[in-house]
Amino acid sequence: MAKSLLVISRQAPWSGPSAREALDIVLAGGAFDLPIGLLFMDDGVFQLTPHQDAKAVQQKDLSANLQALGLFGIDEVFACAHSQAVRGLTSPASAAPLDNPGITRLIDRYDQVITL
Amino acid sequence: MSTLHVVSHSPFTDSRLDSCLRICGSQDAILLCGDGAYGLQQSALHTQGVKVFVLAEDLQARNLSLPDWAERVDYPGFVQLSITYDKVNAWL
Amino acid sequence: MNTLTVGARALELDKDGYLVNLDEWSAEVANALAAAEALELTPDHWEVLELLRQFYAEFQLSPATRPLIKYTALKLGPEKGNSLRLNKLFNGTPAKLAAKLAGLPRPTNCL
Repeated sequence: MAKSLLVISRQAPWSGPSAREALDIVLAGGAFDLPIGLLFMDDGVFQLTPHQDAKAVQQKDLSANLQALGLFGIDEVFACAHSQAVRGLTSPASAAPLDNPGITRLIDRYDQVITL
Repeated sequence: MSTLHVVSHSPFTDSRLDSCLRICGSQDAILLCGDGAYGLQQSALHTQGVKVFVLAEDLQARNLSLPDWAERVDYPGFVQLSITYDKVNAWL
Repeated sequence: MNTLTVGARALELDKDGYLVNLDEWSAEVANALAAAEALELTPDHWEVLELLRQFYAEFQLSPATRPLIKYTALKLGPEKGNSLRLNKLFNGTPAKLAAKLAGLPRPTNCL
């Protein structure tokens, strides 16, 4: 049985390579059918904002990539409710909101955690 | 299940330690290293009741005093901790 | 440099045979790329290639094998979207070969 992995993505989408790297880990794991979860936290929740325009900053379209998570077999996608609330965001349909104790329990459920 | 959270950024310029504290479980611990060691100056840290470790050389390099609620570890101690806890979450 | 000759044009290819400039892709180019792989494109191939281009337009990435199968099953039904059929159509490496022929970048998430 493969070890399960939780990836915590907590950087804004266009600020550097972290958001992209977190997603690449998740997609690669999904392609190999590993049990993978993805949690957006802190500025990472900005990745979930709809209708972003990657071309305006000459980047690859991370938001479009995120829509493919389901096809890569990644069904466990969460967003930190606290991070969203302090940023005036509501939870999009693509990520289930979790409160702080919920995140503690989520981390407990996985064998390994990577925070980027 | 217990997690060792490794934080290497100062809480005074960065949100990692705050975020870590928000989601720390009662079985978890925090290891401060690098500029994360400045977290010892944040009084909110020990009121959380989470076990706090600090890497000895980073403590020494910064001439920080060790509060009674934190414990100093050397590198072999760090390795031992990462074995003792079920998993390590490095806040990169 | 690796090149593919299509009509009077010489198109640049990377070391794995993928188009360097993806906007040079056309049906004619696909046929030439397929010929280089000793493959003749049939309507069954084309159906998958068009689907792949749709996938890329939607998600901005090339699918690995598993998502390719899933997407094909979703759009064309499970009798067409299954690994046996896709492997057969694309010489056993559907994600890599079909992406190449469809003028997509190499899938990064499969070895």
